Amino acid sequence: MTNTIKFVFSNPKYLVLSFSIFIPMFIGLLIMSEYIFLEPYVVSHLPRGSELGFSLIVIISALSALVLPMNVYRINILKSSTKKMGGGLIGSLVGAAAGACSCGPIGFAVISTFGSVGATATAFLTNYEIPLRIIAIGVLAITYFTTVKSLKTECKFIP
Amino acid sequence: MNKKGVIIGVVVIAIIAGVAVSFSSTPSETVNLDMSRTHGTISTAMGSPILGDPNAPVTIVEFGDYQCHQCYNWFHDTKPSITRDYIDTGKVNLVFVDMAFLGRDSSPAAQATYCAEDQGKYWEYHDMLYNAQEDKIDGGWANGERLKAFAFSMGLDMELFESCLDSGKYSKRVQYNTQQARDHGVRGTPGFFIVGSDGQLQIGGAQPFSVFKQVLDQLV
Repeated sequence: MTNTIKFVFSNPKYLVLSFSIFIPMFIGLLIMSEYIFLEPYVVSHLPRGSELGFSLIVIISALSALVLPMNVYRINILKSSTKKMGGGLIGSLVGAAAGACSCGPIGFAVISTFGSVGATATAFLTNYEIPLRIIAIGVLAITYFTTVKSLKTECKFIP
Repeated sequence: MNKKGVIIGVVVIAIIAGVAVSFSSTPSETVNLDMSRTHGTISTAMGSPILGDPNAPVTIVEFGDYQCHQCYNWFHDTKPSITRDYIDTGKVNLVFVDMAFLGRDSSPAAQATYCAEDQGKYWEYHDMLYNAQEDKIDGGWANGERLKAFAFSMGLDMELFESCLDSGKYSKRVQYNTQQARDHGVRGTPGFFIVGSDGQLQIGGAQPFSVFKQVLDQLV
């Protein structure tokens, strides 16, 4: 497993891709979840009781930054199908959407645009923020293991 | 003669002390009767009573939803420090204006606070809602029955409260307040305007006390 990660990320292109996924996703989620504020001053704030939500954001961002470049590698180098990429993308998107739509500008925009349907959707994403993020982590973890397995088989790695 | 003098002296001191206390104490709830009340560009006539000294040089206008968990965070994490350092000291006052948009229970919860205001308990009811808030939007914690139960636990006149809430007496008031938020570009709750003599500054989100302190210290 470690060999696979080392092999993929020994190519600087995939290391750069990984960071360019992690940093914007992590910071973006922190802003959307109101852990970072940009106005009137740039300030970070971790309210009491939101430690779990923060930890899940760290894990989702890290897993996305690990899984997505590995899948891009598999598609680029091994010319594999894009099917397995879907799991990583879905995991990242669900993880990002959960909790981001609540009292904040995104929730307000969705509710203003879609009315009661939007309100129901944002309420669902807010109410089940933690379970949705855990599901997203599960999807990303499964995608990670299947990707590693696929790379091992296709590249004939010696464990 | 001496006894008489002592009694008169005590009475005079008591009167002076009573008058002094009544002048020096900061009113915690002033029911608004001014239908043209504004703070900066915001019409707060339909908002909450003023919390703190009505003559304070700076006003915080808070736009909030009782089902918003970030409003809950601000209420518990930031507001106590602002109350202690700025509101209780007469430097700042606060007006809450509803932005009831998150779910079907948001508007009735806001209306219930005005039904409590009719009985002089706006802020007590407001605080009770933010203390009782539960995780789930429209999860039932702020439905009609619970709103009435909160009123009952506060010892409000239930006949008056129920007729007020069930009739939707303050429905338009809440709608007006929510429209004020939209008109002022508030795109989420809690949203704040810090209004001083030189203008107003918008702060979005449940920001920490340090941010409010920095802004307020410049204005006070």
